[in-house]
Amino acid sequence: MPERIRHAPLDMGKATFPKAKIQLIKDQCKGCGFCIRFCPQKVLEESQEINARGVHPPKIVDESKCLACGFCTAVCPDFAIFIIEKPSKEDVKNG
Amino acid sequence: MEASKALVPKEDIRKLLDGEKLEHCFECGICTASCSIADLLGKDYNPRNLLEKIFLNPDAVLASYEPWLCAWCYRCYKRCPQGLKLPEIFLYMRTAAVKNAFTQPLEIAFEKIVDNIPLSIVTTLVCFHPERAGLEIKKILDMIEHIRIEHLKKLKKKKTVKSSGEKIAVIGSGPAGLTVASELARKGHKITIFEAFSEPGGMLRKCIPEYRLPKWVLAKEIQFIEDLGVEIKTGVKVGEDVNFDDLRKGNYRAIFIGTGANKSQAFKIEGGDLEGVIHAIEFLWNANYKEKVKVGKDVVVIGGGNVAMDTAKTALRLNADKVTILYRRSKEEMPAIPWEVKEAENEGVKIEFLVAPKKILGKNGKVSAVECVRIQLGEPDESGRRKPTPIEGSEFTRETDMVILAIGEIPDLGFLPKEIELNEDNTVWVNPITMETSVEGIFAGGDAVTGPATIIEAIRAGKRAAESIENYVKSLAR
Amino acid sequence: MGAEEKEKTNPREDDGEIRIGVYVCHCGLNIAGSVDCGEVAKFAATLPHVVWAQDNRYTCSDQGQEQIKKDIKEHKLNRVVVASCSPRLHEPTFRKTCEDAGLNKYLFEMANIREHCSWVHLYDRQSATEKAKDLVKMAVAKAARLQSAKEIEVPIIRKALVIGGGVAGIQAALDLADTGYKVYLVEKEPSIGGMMARIDKTFPTMDCSICILAPKMSDVGHHPNIELLANSEVTDVKGYIGNFHVKILKRPRFVKNDCSACGECSKVCPVIAPNKFDAGLAIRHAIYTPFAQAVPSTYIIDMNLCLNKDGVTVCDKCMKACERQAIDFEMKPETVEIDVGTIIVAIGADVFDPSSLQNYGYGKYLNVITSLEFERLINAGGPSGGHLIRPSDLEIPRRVAFIQCVGSRSDKSGRLYCSNVCCMNTIKDSLLIKEHWPETEIHVFYVDIRAYGKGFEDLYKRARKEGVLFIRGLPAEIVEDRKTHNLWLVGENTLQKELYKVNVDMAILSVGLEPRKDSEPIQRLLTLSRTQDGFFMEAHPKLRPVDAATGGIFFAGCAESPKDIKDSVTQASAAAARAGILMAKGKVTVEAITPIFYPERCKVCGLCAKVCPYNAIVLNKELKRVELVKAACGGCGTCAAECPFDALTQDHFTDEQIISQIDAVTESDADKKIVAFCCNWCAYAGADFAGVSRMQYPPSVRIIRTMCSGRVAPKFVERAFARGAAAVLVAGCHPGDCHYINANYQTQKRVERLWKKMEQQGLDKERLQLLWASAAEGERFASKIREMNRLVEKVSPEEINNAKKVFEKALGGD
Repeated sequence: MPERIRHAPLDMGKATFPKAKIQLIKDQCKGCGFCIRFCPQKVLEESQEINARGVHPPKIVDESKCLACGFCTAVCPDFAIFIIEKPSKEDVKNG
Repeated sequence: MEASKALVPKEDIRKLLDGEKLEHCFECGICTASCSIADLLGKDYNPRNLLEKIFLNPDAVLASYEPWLCAWCYRCYKRCPQGLKLPEIFLYMRTAAVKNAFTQPLEIAFEKIVDNIPLSIVTTLVCFHPERAGLEIKKILDMIEHIRIEHLKKLKKKKTVKSSGEKIAVIGSGPAGLTVASELARKGHKITIFEAFSEPGGMLRKCIPEYRLPKWVLAKEIQFIEDLGVEIKTGVKVGEDVNFDDLRKGNYRAIFIGTGANKSQAFKIEGGDLEGVIHAIEFLWNANYKEKVKVGKDVVVIGGGNVAMDTAKTALRLNADKVTILYRRSKEEMPAIPWEVKEAENEGVKIEFLVAPKKILGKNGKVSAVECVRIQLGEPDESGRRKPTPIEGSEFTRETDMVILAIGEIPDLGFLPKEIELNEDNTVWVNPITMETSVEGIFAGGDAVTGPATIIEAIRAGKRAAESIENYVKSLAR
Repeated sequence: MGAEEKEKTNPREDDGEIRIGVYVCHCGLNIAGSVDCGEVAKFAATLPHVVWAQDNRYTCSDQGQEQIKKDIKEHKLNRVVVASCSPRLHEPTFRKTCEDAGLNKYLFEMANIREHCSWVHLYDRQSATEKAKDLVKMAVAKAARLQSAKEIEVPIIRKALVIGGGVAGIQAALDLADTGYKVYLVEKEPSIGGMMARIDKTFPTMDCSICILAPKMSDVGHHPNIELLANSEVTDVKGYIGNFHVKILKRPRFVKNDCSACGECSKVCPVIAPNKFDAGLAIRHAIYTPFAQAVPSTYIIDMNLCLNKDGVTVCDKCMKACERQAIDFEMKPETVEIDVGTIIVAIGADVFDPSSLQNYGYGKYLNVITSLEFERLINAGGPSGGHLIRPSDLEIPRRVAFIQCVGSRSDKSGRLYCSNVCCMNTIKDSLLIKEHWPETEIHVFYVDIRAYGKGFEDLYKRARKEGVLFIRGLPAEIVEDRKTHNLWLVGENTLQKELYKVNVDMAILSVGLEPRKDSEPIQRLLTLSRTQDGFFMEAHPKLRPVDAATGGIFFAGCAESPKDIKDSVTQASAAAARAGILMAKGKVTVEAITPIFYPERCKVCGLCAKVCPYNAIVLNKELKRVELVKAACGGCGTCAAECPFDALTQDHFTDEQIISQIDAVTESDADKKIVAFCCNWCAYAGADFAGVSRMQYPPSVRIIRTMCSGRVAPKFVERAFARGAAAVLVAGCHPGDCHYINANYQTQKRVERLWKKMEQQGLDKERLQLLWASAAEGERFASKIREMNRLVEKVSPEEINNAKKVFEKALGGD
C-alpha cells in the first residue's frame, strides 16, 4: 500500500489521548538534563532561570504533547519531576 | 463513384503534429469544456467535434469556419488526457484552406467573432491569428473592419436599448474590464471605468508589443466602446485617488474588479539591484512607450511564461545581438503556450532548460554576468509538478550585459477591503460560476482572479461577470 | 567433460550422408499472403544436402506433422527444417514430431518467415519472398551442421514460493498446498488480504468482499502445508527452474505469536496515526492490527511511531496491558533462507494517484476522493461504520458524481491502457449508494462503459434502471464553492454536444490501476520482462498467459495486468496448476545448450571463468585446468564468445553453425543487407512482437538467433563485415534485464572494443549498432531497422571493401 495519504482521518474527534499535568520541583533539579534528553515527545527544554542549586532546571514547552508515559519520572535521579494523569473523557463518563 | 483527389491527403492528417496520437482521442469532451471560444460562442464552435470531422472527412472541414475560431490559448492541450495540440492541428487545416482558396469560411468566422466577442479586432490580432495560415494582416484588418461596419449598420436598424439608469463601476480598463463595460453598456446601464494609468487598455496597451498590436487598433477599439456611452476616467487610482469604500457608498449598483496582474513577483537575488537588471513588465512598458529603450548586446531573460517569450522577442526587435532565456524546468513544464515558444526559437531566441540563476554579478554597479546552476527534476510534488533541485557543483557563470526578470506577475490588490477574500496565491477568490466575490454585488475577473493568463480568457471571464451583474441588477430591481 | 565424451544417441543421424527435409508453411494466408511459398520450397530443393522440399498450408497441423514423420522414414531424412513462425512458438511442437519419428530433436531447425518476414513486409511480396529464401538458406546451412544431443535432467524441489498475499496469492498458495506441496507465502504488509480486503462489495454479485475472503485468509493461516511470512520481503533469489534459493527478510512485529488479538494493548497506546489500510481515513495506534479479520491476527508495533523507537523502553503501557506478555521490544529482523522449485509472482498493482491532475483538485478540495477511499467510507468496517459521509462536514451527500478513466487511457499520465475494473466498480458503488440512500442523485461521467464480463451488463442495466445518470463526457475541471465545499463539475456532454455545469456534494475519482512502484527488486531478482505498460510480461499472450519467460516462474493477479477478483482467482489457480505440473514431474530437462569444451586447445587463461554469470566454470589453479559444472550452466554461451583460443563453443549454437548462417546471408548481395544477432529473450522476442503487431520495416535485415547477446563473439561480427555485409546489429536485453544475470555486459564491452577497432582503422563505426530492446519493444526494434536501412543505402562500395580488408583475418581458413 504505497499510496500517498491525502485526507485527514475522519474519526479524529473520537481519538482519546492520555493527558497529563507535569509537576516540576525546580529547586530539587541538579540539571542533569535526562528528562529533556529522553522525553519521546520533546515536551521539555532547558530554561534560562537558575534554581537554588545554581543550575538551569527544565521548562515545559508544550504540555498538550505529553502522552503521560512517565519516563521523565523514571529517569530523574533527584525525584524532581512527576506527572499526574488527567482522567480521559471516557473515564469521567464511566464514573 | 468517381474518386477525386483529396485536398487534404489522409496521410498528411496522420503526419500532422501528434498525428499518431489522434487515434487516441476517445471524445471525452475535455477540450470543448475547457475552450474559451466554445463557452463564448455556444453551439457554433466545438473543438472536439471539429477534430472528429478532420479525422473523418478533412476535405469538408476546409469549407468550415470552425478552424478559424481557435484562439490559441492551449487550454485544451493543457488538459487533454492525450496531450493533443489542437491549435496546431487546426492551423494545418487553415493553411490547407488558404492553399485551396477557401475564403468564405474566414468571413463567416469573422462575423461570428464580431457578433459574439467584444474587442473583436484586437482579439483577431492577438488571439485568433488568422495570419499564421499565410494571410496578409492588412487584408485581414480590411475584412474584419468591413464586417464590423455592416454589423453596426444592422445594430442601428434595431431599436436602441432603453437606458436602465443603473450605475456600475468597473475598476481597470484591461480586456476584462472593457468586456464588462461594453456588454453592460449594450444592456443600457451607465458604466464608469476607473483606470489608474493615463490611457486606457491595461495590459493591451502597456505590455503587448506594438508589432503584435498597433496602438491605433487599440485606440479604435476603445473609441468604439466609448461610443456605447461608457465613461472612462483615466489617471484615477482606486485606493489613492478614490477609496474603494467610496465607490461602494456611491450610487453604483455593482462593482467589477478587473485590475489584472501587473505587479512583478518579488524575487530576491543577489545583484538584483544592479544597473541593467529589469523586470519584464517594466521592460515591455518602456519598449511600448519610450522612444529610445536601452537594450544590452547579450540579453538574458529569466522565466518560462508568455511574458518571458514576448520580452525575448521584443529585445531581439530592439536589436539585441543575442537573447537567451533561462528556465529552471524542462520544455514540457513551461507555462508559456507552445506556439509562442516555437516562434521565439524560430526568431533566434535561445532557450536553456533546467538552469536557474543563483546570483547576478556586476562590475562598477553594472551587470556583467549571471551565476547559474543546473537543475535536475525530482519526483512530482504535491502539486503534481516535478520539483526542481539544483545539482551541486554544477555552477557556471554566463556573461551578459542585461538581465530581464520574467518570473511571474501577481495582482496588486492592496486597495481591496478585507471582506473580499483572497486565494492563497494572492488572487481574488470568486464563485467560479457567477464570478461574484465573497461580498455581494462585487464581481471580479481576468488576471486578478486567475493570475497571468491569455486575453481571450480575460474576455471570457468578463462576459461571464457581465451576465451575472445583469442578473444581479435585475434581481435588485424586482 | 570434453567433446569426445559427448553422448551420441543415434550415430546414423550424425554420420554419413546428410539428408535434409524442408517444409515451407503457408500458415493460411499469414505467410502465403506476402511470400510465394511454392517458390521458396522450389528454391530450398536446390540447396546442398536438401533431399526433400515442399510447401504446405499448415505445417503445424496433425496432417503436416504426419507428413514430416512419414518423410523422415520414407526419404531417410536426418535433418528437418520448417520455415514457418517463430521458434519461440512452435519449435517444441516440431521437435516433438521429430522425436516421434525417431529423430533426435536437436536435429531440427526453424526459419522464422512469418514474424520476421511476411508480417513485417506485408506489401512487398518480391522482397519478402527473397528474404524468406535467405532465411531458409540460413536454416539449411545450420541444419547441415546440427548434431544430436541428450538433455540433462535436473531434479525439482517440490516446494513453492508465492510472493504477495492478495487474493491471487492466497488462491495460488491454497491450491498448491491442497495439492500437497509445501508453500511459502511472503507478504510485505502485516496482514494478507491485499486490495480485496479493503473493498466493500464485489461486482457483479454484490457479495461482501471481506466475508468471502476472510475464510480463505484463515485457511492460509491454518494450513499445515503453508508457511506464512507476513511483514516480510524477498531480498535475494539465486538458482534456476526447479532449484531456487531464496532469502527472505522477516521484519520484526515486536509482538510474539502468543498474542490473542484481544486488543487491550491498542486501547492504552498513547500514539495515534492514520491507518493506511483505511486509506488514511481512520486512525490507529502505534500497536495495532490493520483490520479485524487480519491474518496473522498477531498485533504489530509500528516502530516509526512507538515512543520506544530510539531503543529505550520509555513507554510500557502496552506491555502492562498484555495478559499474555506477548510484547517484545527486543525483536530483531531475521533472514530466512529457503529452497523452492517454483515461484508464483502475485505482487498486485497500485492505484493511480490523481493529485497530478490539477484540474480535479484532488488533495486540494476536501470532497474530492478516490474510489479506494470511497470503498473504505462505505465499508461497515471503515472509519464511518459504513455511513457514506463526505470529508468536509461528515454529512451524508445527496448528490454524488463519479468520474471515470482517471489516470487510465491517457498519454499524459503515461497509462495508455484501460484499467479494466473501474467501470464495473463505479456501477457497483453507485448501486450501493442507491441501496442505502435511494434518493441520492448520482451522476457517472464516462467515455466508454466497459461491461464485458459475465453478469456485468445486467448490473449496468440495473444501475440505469435505478436512476443513476450516465453522462458521456469527462469534466474538464472541478471547482469548489468555498462556503459550502460543494463542487461544480464543468464539462461537455459529448452526445448532446452541450456544455454542462453540475453541482454535487461529493466527487469520486474512479482511479485506474498501475504497476507497483516497489516491484523493481522482484523484477531484477527474477529477471522478468515488462510490457510497455509496465506490467510483467507473460511468455505468450495466448498460449502461456501465466508463465513468465523465465522457467519455473508464474504470474497471478494484477502483477501481470489489471484484472478483477474473478480473473485474479482464475489466473492464480492456473498458475498453481502450471507450477504443480512442474513439481509433479519432479524433474526438468535442461536444454542441451551448455558449453562444449576442447581441452587440447585450452591455455587455462581463466577468461571463461571470469565472464560466466553462474560460476559454472571454475579455474582450478592447482591442477591448472578449467572445470565445467553443467548443471549450474544457464546456457548463455558468453564463455564461448570470450575464449580467445576457440577451446569452448556452445552446443546447438556452435561457432561453426553460426558462421554457416553468416555465410549464408552474405553469399549474395551482402552489401545491401544487415546481419542482426538477436538474443532469444528480448531482442528476438521484440522482433517477434513487431511481427505480431504488423509493424512494417525494410526487408534488408537477416536475424540470427542466439540465446544471449553475450554469445556473439567479435569474430562473428568481423566475419560478417569481411564478407561484405553493409551493417551489423547486435541486440540484447536492456542492461540489468539480462536473462542470464549480467552476460549482456560482456556484449557491451565486446561491441565497444569493435567500435574502437573500426575507428582506428578508419571505418564508419555506425555500421555496427548495438540495441537494447525488450520483448515488448517491437517498435524500438522496427525503428532501429528503419534507421539502419537508411545507413545501408548510403554505404559506398569503397567502404564495404575497406571493411573487407580490415577484417580479412576473420575469414580464417576460407
